Amino acid sequence: MHELYKYRDLIKTLVIRDLKVRYRRSAIGFLWTMLQPLLMMLVLHLVFSTVFRFDLPNYPVYVLAGILFWNFFQQSIITSMNSLKGNAPILQKLPVPMAIFPLSTVISGVVNLALAMIPLFGILIATGHPLTSTLFFLPVSILIMAAFTLGAGLLLSPLAVFFSDVIELIGVVMILLMYLTPIFYPVSIAEKHKFGWVVTYSPVRAIMEVFRDPIYLNKIPGPAMLGVSTFVAVAALILGYVVFRRSSDRIPFYF
Amino acid sequence: MSDLMSDPVIRLDSVALCYRLAQQRLGSFKEYLIHMVKGSLTYEQLWALRGVDLIVTQGEMVGIIGPNGAGKSTLAKVITGVLKPTEGQREVRGTIAPILELTTGFDYELTGYENIFLNALLLGRRRVEIDERLESIIEFSGLGKFIHSPIRNYSSGMVARLGFSIATAWVPDVLILDEALAVGDARFLKRCQTRMSELREAGATTILISHATDMLRDYCTRCVWLDQGVVQADGPPGDVLDRYNEAMSQARTVPDQQASPDSAVVSLDG
Repeated sequence: MHELYKYRDLIKTLVIRDLKVRYRRSAIGFLWTMLQPLLMMLVLHLVFSTVFRFDLPNYPVYVLAGILFWNFFQQSIITSMNSLKGNAPILQKLPVPMAIFPLSTVISGVVNLALAMIPLFGILIATGHPLTSTLFFLPVSILIMAAFTLGAGLLLSPLAVFFSDVIELIGVVMILLMYLTPIFYPVSIAEKHKFGWVVTYSPVRAIMEVFRDPIYLNKIPGPAMLGVSTFVAVAALILGYVVFRRSSDRIPFYF
Repeated sequence: MSDLMSDPVIRLDSVALCYRLAQQRLGSFKEYLIHMVKGSLTYEQLWALRGVDLIVTQGEMVGIIGPNGAGKSTLAKVITGVLKPTEGQREVRGTIAPILELTTGFDYELTGYENIFLNALLLGRRRVEIDERLESIIEFSGLGKFIHSPIRNYSSGMVARLGFSIATAWVPDVLILDEALAVGDARFLKRCQTRMSELREAGATTILISHATDMLRDYCTRCVWLDQGVVQADGPPGDVLDRYNEAMSQARTVPDQQASPDSAVVSLDG
């Protein structure tokens, strides 16, 4: 912890580097961060409002909030999982605290999420969705999301160094989780099904609702969702921290 | 400062380091599980360092010599703190500037200017410290206007020059150079040597790993000969290097009986 504070300038520079490198050679730069979820929303809106017809008012807001959550959740976990492996040349040669790398990827994920929320507010205004004070709860939601993904990154990044197939495995798990989380369909659909409880009681859903409720339903998330999501976030953080600490001495031997 | 002169800056106390190489290809978790269940998880243990004792006091300039695979780079990584010794104790006082490879810690998509910050921060510097030395780093690198173009356009010599300028911009307590000066032209080499002398006068302790025996003879106050992970000789450069050269020329005439490092196959869970 103390070590990480000493390297705070480095963390800041790594976050800026991430953002710079990501868009350096693209024509419209960081506008992609905003455009990609909007295009995704458009596609899902066309498919699900005209073809399947879900019983959801203002579906674009529902689905865009879900997409923003999912993009952050998935990218944050995948990039922090790869962060040690990707920085192997540095970790083999320089004595830097390794936790800097998963940490800075999660921070740049938060910055990206903040950018991607700009068009969300545009859609809220354009669709006449009420803008209420519940939106001020969002920093807490994002903190819970960041804590969970950082925990997952701390847990998975050493494993990805030890076993290369962890990366493949998590890729598949992410696809599975995406379909098991009510991002683009209403929970009511799952509840009709025999195994619907998998969706209803999924902790990933709890974390998502904590983010979506203040935007879509204009309410502070209920104690159940808030409790479950905070619990899993803290648990992931503790587990990740323990695994990371215990394995960090062995990591340079595996590159 | 002077009352600390006799205190060791680097102290290695019977340090041993073992690389555990899995005999099976254990690239995947599945294979790992299968082998673990079958109890057939075997590793080849490769001891890169064995019983290394090394005490270096402030201001010394220690050259490390040895054939390929002697454990020189592993020793550099242990002193740096990247690899934790399997056995024994390591103690290093103060800041370390490791130059194990002059291209480490660069992002090739960023400009030379941006990389100065990234690299120096990775070496543990604060941003304010970097701002202070920025001018002199750019000046010493001799990159001129190229400092603002991405380093993927640089030649390897240019990257090395920038790397050396950054790592030696501050007087470290310990400077570790691992074959780092092999790149770069004669003029830059000359500047590097001047810079190293300046750092030494300012109180830095230097560990220099090289195959260039002439350079070690000229610059070092002491030499350590490492072979198969064991210290063979430690003393004045003249003596150690003469003995090393003699041993090397003998090894060339007599066929080598033990070319491969000793290794033992150890079965875990078995």
